[in-house]
Amino acid sequence: MSRTAEVIVVGAGVVGSAIGAELAVLGHDVMIVEQGMPGAAVSGASLACIGSHMVDMEELPLLAWACEAWRTLDEEVGGFEHNPCGQLRFILNEEDLATARAWIDVERNAGLDVTLLDPAEVLEVEPSLTGPIMAASWSKDDAVVNPFLAVRAFLNRARDCGARLETRCRVDSLIEREGKITGVRCATTDMSAEHIVLASGPWTARLAASLGMNLPVRPRKAQCLATVRIPPSIRRVVGACESDGGVEAGYTQIQQSRNGQVLFNTVLADGCVSDGAPDRIPEVDTAFVRDSVEMLLFLFPDLWSAHLLRSWVRFEAVTPDSRFLIGPLGPEGLWVAAGDCGTGFTRAPAIARLIGQMLGGEHPAFDTTLYEPDRFSCERPAST
Amino acid sequence: MKRHYACDIVVVGAGPAGLSAAQAAAEKNLDVVVVDANSHPGGQYYMQPLGAGSVFARSAQVMRGKTRIRGATAAGVKMLLATEVWGAVPGFVLHARDADDAVCIESKVVIAATGAHDRVQAFPGWTLPGVMTPGAAQRLAKTSSVPPGRRTVLAGSGPFLLPVAGAILKAGGTLVEVVEAQSSLLSTLPLLAAHPNKWLETMRLLFPVLAARTRLRFGEVVVAASGEKRVREVELAPLDAEGQPDFARRRVVPDIDSLLVGFGFQPQIELTAVLGCRHHFDEEAGGWCCTVEKDCGATDTSGVFAAGEVCGVNGAVPAALSGRIAGLAAAGHILDEETAFERRTLARSLQRARRFARGLNRRFMPPAGLIGRLPDETVICRCEDVTAGEIRETITEGMDTIHGVKLWTRAGMGPCQARTCGWSLARLVAEETGNSMEAIGFSRPRMPLRPVPLNVVRDSLQQVEE
Ligand SMILES: Cc1cc2nc3c(=O)[nH]c(=O)nc-3n(C[C@H](O)[C@H](O)[C@H](O)COP(=O)(O)OP(=O)(O)OC[C@H]3O[C@@H](n4cnc5c(N)ncnc54)[C@H](O)[C@@H]3O)c2cc1C
Ligand SMILES: Cc1cc2nc3c(=O)[nH]c(=O)nc-3n(C[C@H](O)[C@H](O)[C@H](O)COP(=O)(O)OP(=O)(O)OC[C@H]3O[C@@H](n4cnc5c(N)ncnc54)[C@H](O)[C@@H]3O)c2cc1C
Repeated sequence: MSRTAEVIVVGAGVVGSAIGAELAVLGHDVMIVEQGMPGAAVSGASLACIGSHMVDMEELPLLAWACEAWRTLDEEVGGFEHNPCGQLRFILNEEDLATARAWIDVERNAGLDVTLLDPAEVLEVEPSLTGPIMAASWSKDDAVVNPFLAVRAFLNRARDCGARLETRCRVDSLIEREGKITGVRCATTDMSAEHIVLASGPWTARLAASLGMNLPVRPRKAQCLATVRIPPSIRRVVGACESDGGVEAGYTQIQQSRNGQVLFNTVLADGCVSDGAPDRIPEVDTAFVRDSVEMLLFLFPDLWSAHLLRSWVRFEAVTPDSRFLIGPLGPEGLWVAAGDCGTGFTRAPAIARLIGQMLGGEHPAFDTTLYEPDRFSCERPAST
Repeated sequence: MKRHYACDIVVVGAGPAGLSAAQAAAEKNLDVVVVDANSHPGGQYYMQPLGAGSVFARSAQVMRGKTRIRGATAAGVKMLLATEVWGAVPGFVLHARDADDAVCIESKVVIAATGAHDRVQAFPGWTLPGVMTPGAAQRLAKTSSVPPGRRTVLAGSGPFLLPVAGAILKAGGTLVEVVEAQSSLLSTLPLLAAHPNKWLETMRLLFPVLAARTRLRFGEVVVAASGEKRVREVELAPLDAEGQPDFARRRVVPDIDSLLVGFGFQPQIELTAVLGCRHHFDEEAGGWCCTVEKDCGATDTSGVFAAGEVCGVNGAVPAALSGRIAGLAAAGHILDEETAFERRTLARSLQRARRFARGLNRRFMPPAGLIGRLPDETVICRCEDVTAGEIRETITEGMDTIHGVKLWTRAGMGPCQARTCGWSLARLVAEETGNSMEAIGFSRPRMPLRPVPLNVVRDSLQQVEE
């Protein structure tokens, strides 16, 4: 197999796979290089809700476009269990109610179908949510996908357009010559390319560091639990409405997968989202398990006898402002797409579109200033 | 409800290894608790019958087990039975459950003596009712004196087929055939010659099978089972010179209602995995084993020791010896007392006993290539209903490890968490990709070790301070 490509994408998570597919569809000669198995890092641990509700007001155009892109992909390719089940965000106090109203206003103005439900209406939408909640917001068009099969669908699309995939091949460093990127160095071989796209999740900073750049992307522990299969009980994605906003303030997400497993996590604001090393995956924190189970049974008391089956931990890549880094970085030909802050699945098609446009010299469809990789002034030392 | 215990040492598993470890530590005047999921102590080897009137009640093995159990109890060991450990937190807190009660055990040291379990090999029809593992059939026979069916075929490989056959006969079952994949037992003669202390045991195991005039066949493997509501017949094929089944010469054994197929055991590493211990792959010891220091049973997680078959499948004698070694070393760890002298003699005996066991294991390795040749429609993962064909498809798309295949097919993600399909899945991936068993990895166990009801989890974790 030839070790040369026009574009090398480093990382086959959902972001790298979507980028690989987009670039291949656009006619570029693409090679996707993955250190492990495609989607086995954060993407394969994801709850993969595809939604624009209560994510980021400034990013609404991009988010809404991304949700639409997932629907289109489902129609054109399918096979990844796209389920437009809608999303509920439960509200427990007045403060959160006010927050929810503010979100709903903004989202409705952007043309999205979002409403506020009282407890009786919530029971109609989600009959087993019998816990004592005050109200809930209801974003009808949000969806979930099967995270593994979604990555597979992107990779198949990429391959159908001629892209190559190298698995179990870790990029150790980037190669630069006279201000231009020329390739990547792996354990046993070098590969050359005109463009390199880093879609390497929490490992992205390490790769940038190989060229002396200091990217503010740090790993943060994300955890999740799953029960054994149970009969259909939870129809929607059920999340918490948090006044403080952002993942740092804590969150809850509960949903039932197509095969019947209930997937759930709750991180409280004083929480246990700790930094860590993405190479060594630890067990879930005890407090996290307690909070998650308590919250699940608070909302869905009838699930008390369901059996817990599995837990998992991954390290997400987070940035100081909780937004992705998308765009050119350092030497000519180097691009980055990393830093998900918990909603990278939704965004993946939009990120791919932006990278495709920027790399092809086109005008980007969304405001890229929000995502500029050097917005935190991560200049590298003058010596390089 | 929640019960709480605190002790110096908690031992998980009340088999030969766990009982020996617990007794050794308790004799050093430490507070020792043994936890076992079964309602009776003894583990696999010293399995105790549930009723006093059982035909097994006075068997030599059961009596020896009783002595062991009494020894541990007399030394002051506390037993928590019918109590299944589902979580383990460094420091240490073990979370367990006794039916719907939460049981929490705090300790300074953990000794994992969780044993092994049957290695299941897939073949067309293996998911039919009436098809079981020999281990499950043995448990049924030994604990409840119930044979697995009226007419049973017992197949697979290894000396373990003999005690299973014996137990089924004793429980009143009929063995239509016992089918060993190896072409003869001649290869074991040099091994037996070198270990005269094993002659008596060998005779004891062979006697009931020969006395019942059970039909013994060699050099054949099960290639398919069929039946409508339950297994009715089994197809067997001889292995050719390359060790591959010769389908042209296959034969059918009709009129059966129970089929047992076993290819040895694999270590139960859930607990040691969740405690972060290192594991290594050792084909002759059953696959992925917990890595310990030979002379003390210490794992690479401080305060965690392991003994018995979780460190490699070697039989009951090595299990008991390694248990005693780990018990002494664990006690020494807490008391800051040197126990090396006592352990040295034990370690020598252990080495000798292991040599015999490894020799046996090597002679009864499951024939390679069987799983790679399974037809596409054969189910590999029964929890998630994944076929060999679906797995092959993902492999051609680049998923050439256990983890990769699991992501795209869900194989191993169901309630058994790959305990049942793990071996078949690993062989299939290894044989299809040409990668080694080591390279393709394993499905890493995570909390909970076994499925546990959410209300028990809630009760267990209430008021836990981080
Ligand atoms: C529990 C949980 C729930 C979530 N829920 C949602 C949700 O509901 N909705 C949503 O939108 N998002 C959700 N997310 C977030 C979402 O899953 C992530 O944002 C997204 O998967 C990130 O994708 P990625 O491709 O950037 O990262 P990754 O999947 O981590 O991919 C990066 C890849 O790069 C590879 N790589 C790294 N370094 C190298 C190297 N040197 N050489 C070769 N390969 C390399 C890695 O092996 C990895 O496969 C959730 C995340 C978690 C953990
Ligand atoms: C199915 C089977 C049948 C066997 N039959 C024979 C035989 O007939 N003759 C023979 O010579 N050898 C037999 N062996 C081999 C035998 O296991 C060993 O020789 C010996 O019993 C090993 O001792 P051990 O203490 O390491 O493990 P075991 O005797 O297997 O004991 C392990 C104990 O740990 C307990 N345990 C494991 N996980 C947990 C948990 N999470 N919570 C609570 N308890 C837990 C189990 O319930 C079990 O009682 C058999 C092995 C297996 C797997």
